[in-house]
Amino acid sequence: MKRLRSILGNSGAVLTLVLAVLAPFLLFGWFQGAIGAARLHIDPTYSGGEVWCVIEREGYRMVVNHPVSRRLPWQRIGPFVQITWTPADRLPARVSEQIDIDGDGTPDVLVTFDSKNLIVDVTPLGARYRAMHSQGVTSFSALIARVKDGIVVRIPLG
Amino acid sequence: MPDRVLHTPRRSVGKSLLLTLPILLWSLLMFSRALIEPGRAPKLAAGVTLVFLVALFFQMMRTLETHRWSRYFFVALGFLFPVGFIWQLFALRGSMSIPVERMLSGDTPFCFLAIPMMILPAAIAKTVIFPGSILPTASNPHAIAAMVAIWLAATLVLGKGWCSFGCFFGGIEEGFAAIPKKPRIRRIDPRWRWMPWAVLAAIVLLSAATLEPVYCMWLCPFKAVTEYPAVRSFETAVQMGIFVTLFLGLVVLLPLLTKKRTQCSFLCPFGAFQSIFNKTSAFDIRIDQSKCTPCVLCERSCPTLSITPEAVQSGKPLMSCMKCGACVDACVRDAAVWHIKGTETGASSERARLMHLYSAWAFAVMFGGSIIAGTLEKLFGVLV
Repeated sequence: MKRLRSILGNSGAVLTLVLAVLAPFLLFGWFQGAIGAARLHIDPTYSGGEVWCVIEREGYRMVVNHPVSRRLPWQRIGPFVQITWTPADRLPARVSEQIDIDGDGTPDVLVTFDSKNLIVDVTPLGARYRAMHSQGVTSFSALIARVKDGIVVRIPLG
Repeated sequence: MPDRVLHTPRRSVGKSLLLTLPILLWSLLMFSRALIEPGRAPKLAAGVTLVFLVALFFQMMRTLETHRWSRYFFVALGFLFPVGFIWQLFALRGSMSIPVERMLSGDTPFCFLAIPMMILPAAIAKTVIFPGSILPTASNPHAIAAMVAIWLAATLVLGKGWCSFGCFFGGIEEGFAAIPKKPRIRRIDPRWRWMPWAVLAAIVLLSAATLEPVYCMWLCPFKAVTEYPAVRSFETAVQMGIFVTLFLGLVVLLPLLTKKRTQCSFLCPFGAFQSIFNKTSAFDIRIDQSKCTPCVLCERSCPTLSITPEAVQSGKPLMSCMKCGACVDACVRDAAVWHIKGTETGASSERARLMHLYSAWAFAVMFGGSIIAGTLEKLFGVLV
């Protein structure tokens, strides 16, 4: 038994050395691939949720995401819906849009923003949405921000 | 005090060089790309790092001491990582603060300290509660999958040894702890050893309950020297205050007073988490009862309070042992020894040390070495 334990221990030590040598050539790639294949996703409070629809306008487009709800009652971030106007460089100085967020054929919010100074006004047209007047980032669930080549507006939900 | 001179046998230069040869070849392989890159700065940085790491390994072979030499690497890593990281942040956005805009675009570099907090939400809801990106992108090469892959490989190879050979933060404390000749505070209540476990349990549960990386947001001392949320509100000002206070207290002041790695010993939840993987590691440290007097030199030398009188009696350090080898270096009677699990204590201590060191140093050259070389390249780019 002692001898078997010793053989196993020494085999483990040799295996450790082999793994150390294999790490940069195989292990990093394997592990990274496995994590990539695990279908994990960044929490929607950070990513803004999945894209629900894209609305084309002349010279720019609006990307409307699925609403992000609170999954736990005490969660600090959310609920909100994220809309991205892109490309930011081609937006007029003042943008005003009535947007049908839930796709029921009637507009849900009126979003007006200054695309240069990033000041936004949201007027709710449906009961589910909350009014917002914001310059820059107020919180993760109520903000206007320049993100890469777009302008992101997060509208708080009631 | 026993005579230390009697305890320092030396290996011959020739044999030490021969044992260093595999690490020299490995280092050449790891730095080969940088060594043939155009420009002087990458070549110089890679060359200096290579010589530094190989020389340290040679000294470990020659003197048969481990921690005495490996800590130079670890301190260099601890101090150069923030320099390189802050340098990169200023080049990218002119500030150390991370604005919400970059969090929304998934450009927050991922840090291994967040791993314990991510596990429950990832397992239950397949969601990652970190504002980064899963796979590397042009704007965020430090993606979650890449860092988790490095951590997994390191855990297989090093176990808790990550805290001695991989962690790019612990060296800061190690550096401050090395400054005073003697500790001003000697007596530390042993109950403090439970703190990292309490912090680990708290942050894992709170992060799962709030779906936010609680430790990163409220407790990480190293935010003070890497990247912190832009101070735009009272809340972020409080967060910043906590980061700076914890950094100055646990990473600078207490190591100076105690000569211990106090952040690792009293706070770090990742260290506690990593302790679990000491169970799966092939190597550990043992205390040979037949040789131990006990003189408490090992207890005094341990940077993380992992050796207690009870641990000495049981013949092995606590599971928080990070396999730095400080106790083995300190023991004048060769009672503290490197050990391969399953084998007899003291039967092949030097072989166990060599096998552990080859694995650990191979990882250190590849991971820490690339960080050191990266920062040196930036510095040499300005100076040369």
